[in-house]
Amino acid sequence: MGEWLRSPIRGVLLDITGVLYESSADHGTVIPGSVKAVNRLRESGMPFRLVTNETTTPTTVLLDKLRRFGYQLEERELFSPIPAVVKLLQQEQLVPHLLVHPKVEGELRVGEKGSPASCVVLGDAEDNFSYANLNSAFRALMVMPCPRLITLGYGRYYKHNQQLQLDVGVYAKALEFACGVESEVVGKPSPAFFNQALADMGVQAEEAVMVGDDISSDVEGAQKCGMRGVLVRTGKFTSSLLPHPTITPDCVVDNLAEAVDQILAAKGKN
Amino acid sequence: MKIGAVLIDLSGTIHIDNTVIPGAIQALNKLRSTDVKIKFVTNTTKESKRILHDRLTHIGFTIDKDEIFTSLTAARQLVDKRALRPYMLITEAAREEFVGVSGQDPNAVLVGLAPECFDYEHMTTAMRLLLDGAPLIAIHKARYYKRSDGLAIGPGAFVTGLEYSTGCKAEVVGKPESSFFHTALQDLGVSASEAVMIGDDARDDVCGAMTAGLRGILVKTGKYRAGDEDKVDPVPSFVADDFSRAVDYLIENGLSLP
Repeated sequence: MGEWLRSPIRGVLLDITGVLYESSADHGTVIPGSVKAVNRLRESGMPFRLVTNETTTPTTVLLDKLRRFGYQLEERELFSPIPAVVKLLQQEQLVPHLLVHPKVEGELRVGEKGSPASCVVLGDAEDNFSYANLNSAFRALMVMPCPRLITLGYGRYYKHNQQLQLDVGVYAKALEFACGVESEVVGKPSPAFFNQALADMGVQAEEAVMVGDDISSDVEGAQKCGMRGVLVRTGKFTSSLLPHPTITPDCVVDNLAEAVDQILAAKGKN
Repeated sequence: MKIGAVLIDLSGTIHIDNTVIPGAIQALNKLRSTDVKIKFVTNTTKESKRILHDRLTHIGFTIDKDEIFTSLTAARQLVDKRALRPYMLITEAAREEFVGVSGQDPNAVLVGLAPECFDYEHMTTAMRLLLDGAPLIAIHKARYYKRSDGLAIGPGAFVTGLEYSTGCKAEVVGKPESSFFHTALQDLGVSASEAVMIGDDARDDVCGAMTAGLRGILVKTGKYRAGDEDKVDPVPSFVADDFSRAVDYLIENGLSLP
């Protein structure tokens, strides 16, 4: 049993893209062993939740996709930044200027039509990250009396179609630099986001592990929140990432199946 | 010490768009009648030396094209020195400065101000090269700039984004980097301690030059706003009403530095 499993694990958080499936232009491909691993977690009675920063598709579409891969999941088990930010916008009565993927714009359009924007909401907009769109977000922030930049995740890049592409964090940083503001993150690695999923399982951070392919958002984010962070060698993982100058994962595994093997083997012994 | 060279900023110091700053042409002639060497130094990301030269000639200055040293010139020299094959996010006009540079099989990324290149596809290509270890070279890192329809997000934002995604640090070639002033002086064969910079930007011209070991004279034209000289450290060696007054000051002091 690895050192990282000495104190018992009572809950697991799973990243989706790069852990359950590899993203591509069509529907993506399931990662071998991951469906079985999720089933084994469920059969063993180990609580788990899915935490994703995926903001290019609505949650329901993502769930359908996962089900087609063979995952048996409930909507309540999935935590994504989109419902979280909608709640925030409603609670604080904010009118967002959106720079997001066209597929999720509808879900995020809240507030009164025609009233001036009081915040910028940034999601993974992919091709919508044009100069013109970034410039209008910049201008929107520059005229706000109290500029607020809300970003759905803070990722550097992710893997799509077997290649790395820019993630939303790059554009959050760009706007922060241009406008002299700091962004508020909704999604990973925000502790509030992790804590929501932990509270839903009724598990303390110290008793939980996060499994993901992003060394910052998943592993470091989890560790800063008090959880253990496990890095998988699937998705965006590249061997040049390790050793990382500032982040040491609690464990590095080939894939989700290996992580679940270790977690369940330790469960039997604790 | 005797002054060996004077570096002169362009926009805001001797002209603004197509207007000569009053007295600048005569003052330049006066300075030319001495034996100091002269270079015009400017941060430009979108205009080639030829375009700048055409404009200055058109409004009445007698300037040789080779006397102009821009952030694009500095970038070109860096590219040549290190035999780089840059993937370039720069405007068509700026490409004039890179004639003969091959971008085949790129081993560097060069970022200027090129709204048409700052789309997701170009930026992603740049990121992949940087992740493979290519150096990131930035013409400059402005947060935003002014254009006819208002403020627009500047190249610095895109450079910062690329730095974040890849964990690399951009090499900036323009003002106020010390290397910019040193490279401009290298061409003249004059050391920094024997040179003076005259400009309207307290931070990029004066403070940058002084940090690089030159003396710095701030002129109260162009983008100068009252009190600018008090906002920078080190404070300017001298503050002049305009370029003409700055030249008089140098000549009155016998072209020597205290």
